[in-house]
Amino acid sequence: MVTMDARCPKCHKIATFSGKPGERIKVTCPECGNWGWVTFNGSTSDRETAIEVSHLKKIYGELAAVNDISFSVRKGEIFAFLGPNGAGKTTTVEMIESIRQPTTGDIKILGEDIQMSFDKVKEKIGVLPQEFLSFERLTVQETLVYFSNLFQRHANIDSIIVSMDLKTSENMLYKNLSGGLKQRVGVAIALVNDPDIVFLDEPTTGLDPKARREVWEVIAGLRKRGKTVFLTTHYMEEAEYLADHIAIIHKGKIIAEGSLDELISRYGDESILRVKNCKSKGTIDILRSHGFEVKTEGNGNIAVRIDYKERVLEILSILKHECVDYDTIDIRRSNLEEIFLKLTGARLSEGAT
Amino acid sequence: MNLKFIKTDLILGIKSWLRSKGTVFWTILFPVLLIMIFGAIFSDTGNIEYDLVVQDLDDSELSEGFVYILKNISILTIIEIDIDEDITEYMLDEDKSVALQIPEDFSEKLQAYFVNTNASVNLTFYVDPSEQTTTGVIKSIISGMLYEYNMGLTQGKTVIGLEEEKTLGQNFTYIDFFVPGMIGFTIMTSMIYGSIERNTKYRKDGILRKLLTMPVTRAEWILSKMLFMLFLSFISTFVIILVGVLAWGLNIQINIFFFVIVICTSFMFSGLGMIIGRFVKEEETADMAGGAITFPMMFLAGTFFPLDQMPDFLQSVARLLPLYYVNEGLRNAMIHADLDKTLFFTGFVVAFTLIFFIAGVFLTKWKED
Repeated sequence: MVTMDARCPKCHKIATFSGKPGERIKVTCPECGNWGWVTFNGSTSDRETAIEVSHLKKIYGELAAVNDISFSVRKGEIFAFLGPNGAGKTTTVEMIESIRQPTTGDIKILGEDIQMSFDKVKEKIGVLPQEFLSFERLTVQETLVYFSNLFQRHANIDSIIVSMDLKTSENMLYKNLSGGLKQRVGVAIALVNDPDIVFLDEPTTGLDPKARREVWEVIAGLRKRGKTVFLTTHYMEEAEYLADHIAIIHKGKIIAEGSLDELISRYGDESILRVKNCKSKGTIDILRSHGFEVKTEGNGNIAVRIDYKERVLEILSILKHECVDYDTIDIRRSNLEEIFLKLTGARLSEGAT
Repeated sequence: MNLKFIKTDLILGIKSWLRSKGTVFWTILFPVLLIMIFGAIFSDTGNIEYDLVVQDLDDSELSEGFVYILKNISILTIIEIDIDEDITEYMLDEDKSVALQIPEDFSEKLQAYFVNTNASVNLTFYVDPSEQTTTGVIKSIISGMLYEYNMGLTQGKTVIGLEEEKTLGQNFTYIDFFVPGMIGFTIMTSMIYGSIERNTKYRKDGILRKLLTMPVTRAEWILSKMLFMLFLSFISTFVIILVGVLAWGLNIQINIFFFVIVICTSFMFSGLGMIIGRFVKEEETADMAGGAITFPMMFLAGTFFPLDQMPDFLQSVARLLPLYYVNEGLRNAMIHADLDKTLFFTGFVVAFTLIFFIAGVFLTKWKED
C-alpha cells in the first residue's frame, strides 16, 4: 500500500489517502464532502513500466531547473509532459535521453539504469530532439537510410514512409520541405530502428494549426502501433488530444499528474450544462425536483451543475419528457489551461516565471 | 569500430558536398581562381631573376667555362668580382645575399680526377642567413646545374661539390614557390571553416544531440568526418596542381612527404577547428572566428610573401604558426627536394598535428551542460 496527498479542488484542503500503486479510487474530501478520483503513484512492475524516474534533479548554479521529480511511464501509453517554456521539460527529457547529466536522481528505461547501461537502451529508443533539423541536402529517403544504417535494429523504411504519409515527398531534398513535413520526417527518423519508446520534444512548436494536426495524427498512430510515446509540449490542446497520462511541470516541479479526466475531476471546476434560451416555465423546479443544482442566468439561460457524466443523459431525458422548449444545449468543463491557471496563478502560454 | 557508420557518414558528406554549389565553389573553383589570378600576375612579370656574386679564384679556362654556364641560367644574374675583393665584405656593402666562390685549385682538381677518380673540389657558397628564401632558391639552382655538370664530366660521380643539395628544374618561376603556400592555405581554410561550421550548425540543428542517443561513438563520428575532410583536401590540392601544371607549367615534385604533410595538415587544422568550435556556440559567429584565425596566419606564415621580406619580430611570430611549417615543409618537399629541411619541417607539422588534433578530439563535446 502507498499513501498520497491530494488537494481538494473545492475547499483546497489537503487530505491523505491510501491505495495500491497504480490504483485509481474514488475519494471524498473529509472537510467539504466533495468527491473525486485519485490515482496512486509508485512503481508498477518492470513488465509494465517503460520509463521510471526517481528524485531527478538538475541544478545550474543556484537555479533548480528540475527539482526532485519522480514519475513513471507505462508501456504503450502517450505520456505528455506539459508545461510552459522554461518549466524544465526539455532538461528533463534530455536527462532521460542521456544528453544531459542529472545532478542527482535515478532513471530507468525498460528496466535498465541509464547511468550504467545507456548503450544497451539506444537500440530501443527513438528520439526527436527539440528544434531538430536534418541534413539539408539529403532526400527524405536518403535521410531515413542514413539514420537507419546507424542501428543494428531496423524498421522497413518504405513502410515508415507510407505510414508517415511521406510517399510524395520521399525524393525531395530535406531543405525544400515545409515545416510540417520536416517534423514528420523528424518523427520518421525516430522510428527507423523500430523503437519501443519514442521521445518527441515539442514536435509541433512553430507549426501552423493544419500542420500541427497532421503531426498529431502521426503521433496518435504510434500508439496504435504499440509504441510508448514520451511527448513534451506547451500546447494544452496537444496534451488533451493525444495523452493517456499528463504530468504538468512548473518551475522544475511536477504540480499535477494523471489522465485528463483525473486532472479535471481533481483540479477542475464542476461541469456545467447550459440550457440556452429556455422558453418553458417551471423547468427550474422540475430539474431541482430531480436533485439538480440549478441557477438562472440572463437571456433565459439555465445552468445545471453536473456531478458526473451519466447525469447529462438524465437531464436530456427530463427535458424531452417534459417537452421543454429551448434553443441549444451547451456542456462546458474545465480544461488544462484553467487547471494550470488554478494551480500556478499563471497561464501556460505566459511561461514559467 | 562501426565501419558501416563510417561508410554511411562518408557517403552522406560527399553527397551533401556535391549538392552544395557554394561548398563546391570554395573547394574547387576558388583555388582555381586563385591560381589563375596569381599565375597571371607572376607569369606576366616573367621569371624572377636572382643576383649571384661569383668570385673565380682559379681564373683558368675550366673555371671560366663553369662561370659561362652559370651566366646562361636565365634566372640568375651573375656579378663577377675581382680575386682581390673580400667576398663577404662585398656582399655586405652591396647588399647581396648569395655568392659563389670558385677555389684556386678548381682546374687542378678537375684535371686530377682523370688520373685519380677520388679527386674532388668544393665550391664555397656564401649566404646571408636572414635571406633564407632567396638563398634556398639559388642553392637549389646551382645544385641542379652542378648535377648536370658532374653528369657530363663523369657520368654521375661528384667531382664538384657544394652542399648536399639535390638538383632542381631550371625553368623555375615564382609560381612554383607560390603553389605549396596555396595548398597549405587552402587546406587550412577548408578544414578550419569546415570544422567550426559543422560543429556549430550540427549543435544548433540538434544533430549532435540526436547522435548522442544513437549507437555511434564520438571516435567513429570524428573519424568519418576526417575521412571526408581528407577527401576535400586532396580534391583541392590536385585541382591546384592540375591547373597549375596545365596553365602555368608548374615544375614540382610529388613525393611521400607531400602526402604526409597534406594528411597531417588536414588533421591539424580540423583539430584547430574543433578547438575553436568548442567555444563558438553561434553559427553566425563561426565565420568570424574562422577568419580571425586564418587571415593573420595566411599573411604571417609566408603563404604569399616570403618571410624574408617581413620585419624580424614578425618572422619570429611566423615561426610560432603551424601554417609556416606546412608551407616550408611543402616547399622543401615539392620544390627544393631538400631531405633534411623537409624532415625538419615535417617533424614540426606532425608535432602540431598531434597537439591540435588530440586537443580537438578531447575538447569536442556532444553532451549538453
